[in-house]
Amino acid sequence: MSTAALQSRRPEDKVGPGPGFPRVLHSEFIKFRTLLSTLILVASTVLVMVGFAALNAWGVGQFSEASKSDRQAAAAFAAQGADLTSGIPTSGIAFAQLIMGSLAVLLMSSEFTTGMARSTFSAVPKRTPAFVAKLLVVTVCAFVVTVASSFLAYLAASPILENYGFDIDLGTEHSRRLLLVSGIYVAAVAAIGMSLGTLLRNSAGGIMSLVGLFFVVPIAFQLIPGEFFEEARKYLPDNLFQRIIASAPAEGALEVWQASTWLGVWVVVPLVAAMAALKQRDV
Amino acid sequence: MIEATGLTKVYGDKTAVDGVSFTVQAGHVTGFLGPNGAGKSTTMRMIMGLDRPTSGSVTVNGVPFAQHAAPLREIGSLLDAKAVHTGRTAYNHLLVMAATHRIPRKRVQEVIDMTGLGEVSKKKVKGFSLGMGQRLGIAAALLGDPQTIILDEPVNGLDPEGVVWVRNLVKYLASEGRTVFLSSHLMSEMALTADHLIVIGRGRIIADAPIGEIITGKGQSRARVRTDQPQQLMRLLAADGVSVEVQDHELLEVTGLPPREIARTALDNRIMVYELTPLQASLEEAYMELTKDEVEYHSLITTGASAPARTGGNR
Repeated sequence: MSTAALQSRRPEDKVGPGPGFPRVLHSEFIKFRTLLSTLILVASTVLVMVGFAALNAWGVGQFSEASKSDRQAAAAFAAQGADLTSGIPTSGIAFAQLIMGSLAVLLMSSEFTTGMARSTFSAVPKRTPAFVAKLLVVTVCAFVVTVASSFLAYLAASPILENYGFDIDLGTEHSRRLLLVSGIYVAAVAAIGMSLGTLLRNSAGGIMSLVGLFFVVPIAFQLIPGEFFEEARKYLPDNLFQRIIASAPAEGALEVWQASTWLGVWVVVPLVAAMAALKQRDV
Repeated sequence: MIEATGLTKVYGDKTAVDGVSFTVQAGHVTGFLGPNGAGKSTTMRMIMGLDRPTSGSVTVNGVPFAQHAAPLREIGSLLDAKAVHTGRTAYNHLLVMAATHRIPRKRVQEVIDMTGLGEVSKKKVKGFSLGMGQRLGIAAALLGDPQTIILDEPVNGLDPEGVVWVRNLVKYLASEGRTVFLSSHLMSEMALTADHLIVIGRGRIIADAPIGEIITGKGQSRARVRTDQPQQLMRLLAADGVSVEVQDHELLEVTGLPPREIARTALDNRIMVYELTPLQASLEEAYMELTKDEVEYHSLITTGASAPARTGGNR
């Protein structure tokens, strides 16, 4: 290019494509797949989901065997209700949500801890498109990984259950709902994780906050006596999820639509805060 | 072209950049020189829209950076040698950057070859030396074939061959009519690379002139004077715009007064002078001289009496 041509080029001239959303999304996807830590965490999720389902299937089998000879076990077995198996493919969900949530925290916090954010936001100075693209990649991945690993878990658990004369029917309304809701729930946890990573900009801090929210707070609320904590416990994300998938809700439980709305609030409020902070703060 | 107007950045109670205004012209290599912590990097981050100015504004080719339709094709930057996720390979890092602007893989390979990263491009950045990190940063800056290039301390950590390479690269880019703005705290490097210098100290612009002018100290003459009555001569020479420094027992360095004036003052007052040597400032000295006030100002506040002995009417 000649000197004259360069000097006469005005900013409003066409200089080639800029950071349109599909391109930013593509970039975020490349980021996602080119990190070993991502692949390790995704693989761990699959492993945990399949492993827990297999263990659970074996446990249910053992339990039913025991109930044949032991009257006490039989009574306990009967008390569990008829549907023992539909929850098996998603039985590792408590760990899956934590791993995928941590992955979401890491993907954002590492931008800041490594300095990558300066490259990212030099390429996408409006910042919001990069955040939304990453959010999309992370949540879709969380959903797909959860649903796919639940299916793998089903494949692993089925032969074990067959040994004891049980089977899982993935075709039932309840099973399909369980699978779908679990996927959406883990995606929601990932969204919360990404907000935490953006707000705290620190990997350890973000992951610990996530663990606090999903493991420590629910247990603490359960241990502290008092009606307030019992009531407040219902609104924690983990309990909201349990309510949505419950086939026989406890007395005084929230309606499904209420629980879903509250879960939505848990996702949207941190996201809005994170996006505002990202737009405002120095990188 | 980069234009900053009254650019200010305050962090808490520290003013990192204090009402800085300057213009970086196309077709030249403009050096941004200043001691560590003078506000160079902060200024560059503000140009790139990464830090929000407390007040003032900066535009690149007339538009704030964030409002460019294709920022990477407009301005390439190396702000931090490792603004990279170190778990990714160099190639993948560049691919991530390129994807945002649909820059083809061919171009990614081009900048890798251009910066000599060919052998390590498929290795994780984690294992990179500082020099390789710099080369990767420069590769990223060149990715969009931008009209404006901003490089923060590009030669840091480079081997001698790399230093020469950067020097030639920026000169070549400027010769193509591009705007090149690079920072350094090394005057000697700037002397070999830049056509124009903007000197910053403690957040303020100290000098903004072609490099030749800075070397000659904008007509400020300096002379070394030996006399057996240094104290008397010092007092007599003290005036606005003149500074006298005691270098040794009977040795003074006078700035801002031509040798003829010094000789006349000495003669009129019957002070014997046994050496009077006009001095040509070296680049390093010119730089030290320029930034000295800023540094001295600082040490006067913190250490008071232990500041170097110096009189003169310029402060």
